[in-house]
Amino acid sequence: MDDILEKRDIKLALVVDDSAMQCKVLGVLLKEEGYKVFSANDGARGVAMYIKYKPDLVLMDINMPVMNGYEAARKIKSLSTGTSLCPLIFITSMDTDKAFIESIEAGGDGILVRPFSPAVFKAKIKSIQRISDLYQQVKVFQQEQQHDAELAEKLMSDVIESRNYALDKIGIIKKAAELFSGDIQLSALCPNGNINVLLGDFTGHGLRSAIGAIPLAETFRAMSRKGFSPFEIIKQVNHQMYDLLPVDLFLGAAFVTISSHDGSAYIFNAGLPDVYLFSEEGDIKSKFESSHPPMGILPDLLPDARLTVVPISEKDRVILISDGIVEARNEEGEMYEFERFEHAAKRGVVSGSVSESVLTSVNEFCLRMPQEDDISLIDIPCGGWEQTFVVHQAAEYINEENLSDLYDDTDSAWRWRLALNGSRLSSVNPIPMAMSQINEIEGNAEHWQSLYTILTELFVNALDHGVLGLDSELKTYHEGFIEYFKERESRLKVLDTGFVEIQLSYHPFTSGGRVKICIQDSGKGFSLREHYQKRADNKSDTPRLSGRGIELVEQLCESLEYKDNGTLVEASYVWTT
Amino acid sequence: MTVKKLVSEDSKSVVIAIEGRFDFSLHQKFRESYSSDNISGSRFCLELSKATYMDSSALGMILLLKDHAEKLSGEVVVKNPSESVKKILEIAQIHKLMTIEG
Repeated sequence: MDDILEKRDIKLALVVDDSAMQCKVLGVLLKEEGYKVFSANDGARGVAMYIKYKPDLVLMDINMPVMNGYEAARKIKSLSTGTSLCPLIFITSMDTDKAFIESIEAGGDGILVRPFSPAVFKAKIKSIQRISDLYQQVKVFQQEQQHDAELAEKLMSDVIESRNYALDKIGIIKKAAELFSGDIQLSALCPNGNINVLLGDFTGHGLRSAIGAIPLAETFRAMSRKGFSPFEIIKQVNHQMYDLLPVDLFLGAAFVTISSHDGSAYIFNAGLPDVYLFSEEGDIKSKFESSHPPMGILPDLLPDARLTVVPISEKDRVILISDGIVEARNEEGEMYEFERFEHAAKRGVVSGSVSESVLTSVNEFCLRMPQEDDISLIDIPCGGWEQTFVVHQAAEYINEENLSDLYDDTDSAWRWRLALNGSRLSSVNPIPMAMSQINEIEGNAEHWQSLYTILTELFVNALDHGVLGLDSELKTYHEGFIEYFKERESRLKVLDTGFVEIQLSYHPFTSGGRVKICIQDSGKGFSLREHYQKRADNKSDTPRLSGRGIELVEQLCESLEYKDNGTLVEASYVWTT
Repeated sequence: MTVKKLVSEDSKSVVIAIEGRFDFSLHQKFRESYSSDNISGSRFCLELSKATYMDSSALGMILLLKDHAEKLSGEVVVKNPSESVKKILEIAQIHKLMTIEG
């Protein structure tokens, strides 16, 4: 556009009138105003010349042979696209209301009734040119803005979506009402193989509601990668949104962690429609309603804020939706509602494509109705994740080193120790701290994933079974499983005594190395003999809800040994490069 | 869609009534309905019995009202939401942030 403007510093005017005399008179006046003038003697020729010269101004007579002024005006207006308004003024001697109204309806931007003085004519031209210039400015701004917005949208979706984890397994519907979506879908892999998923819905839609998306995505991914617990991530997201967003902007969000090796899902719903757990057959096993105000309204989470823990089966699916789906309206003004959604989701679970089934159903319902709000859905399979978790099997490392020296730390490159006491045990997660020490000293490496799993499992055992004295037997049946987490929560809340101490020492080899882990707790311990007996008895193939953690740790470790009546566990992790 | 406003004689109680759809299009009118009430300890009643629908930007607007009331050491009470509006308030767990009556 800028090019054309620069090339054309002389303005062009087209006069369409069947009287050659009139054309001449108007031509002279226009030339005095700096226009180069073309003229045509009927409407059809006028249209042809408009196409050829793309003038900046058209003056149009009404009564003409071949094609009258109204028809020519309609044709010209339908042809004028782009940033130019191309103002069109009717020149007539018909001083009637009808002529006035019809000329405006035909697309005219003004009417000038003869006779008029040259001064009035020039004033009219100036005023119409002013409007035309404004129109062009607005159009140019609009195009620039659209262009910038498209670029920003592309950048943003690159940053946000392309970095999501396992897009081949997790089904996503994302249908924005505007260029920018106020809905956001995130997925990330945790160091222990858990999958974190978040569906967020910022207030409103469009650019205004997308401003929080990038910081949200960064926080979610960084904290997931570093192994922070779901609750810690939610807490931080809430705090960040509170700091960042204005009072009337907030984030409705549902957060789900799928833990395959624990056989459970952790769910938190703050301001989104119910989260669904579907069985393989497409039955709704549970719904999880919103239990907390959206993120970013309160500076801290409410004291009663907590995650719901549910046992899951391999073939279950967790489905998250935003309100844009259930509130989508058809031409009669009816809403799509939950019932239609549940039916479509059920069909989708059975046929193997939830997002496709729901999207088809919503589209068929709404037909040509314009979309009012962002529509999104995330469909997460509960199983099939094990393969994606890189298990670094314990490397067999044999050297002259005597195994009895295993816990003699004199040959270590460094040691790290943290003891948490009393109430700090419920408020501080030491595992990300330990991992960040290792990352800072030794750099980032893939085999730290396994170490993270070992540390997490052993710490949780020390805390749950040692300090809190919870019985893992509870977790062997479904009701007990839920009971276990309730009990854990209430004991943690009042915890003011006890300790867990973690010690790490790092022993580099020429290629690879060993990390020794000692975790001591203040609990009563357990009978080691009973423990090993039970392990031996428990070799059946029936699926269990408990004990999988420690099996995994044994696979990952070079050695794992309980001491001091079960209150001290010593593990050794070796890797080769 | 309208916003109606009623102020008590001592100016301490302000009733704001919403009729029809409560969404972003009411933003300006809604803000104007309370922004000039600056009396300390004011009680703002948000009457929603005639509100047929409410979206998340309306929730945002209520939070702005709450912010305004808190600056005056006052309070916001949401009154008589219809079933559909109640559902929205419930999803956002608004009862944990302010009083809902009726």
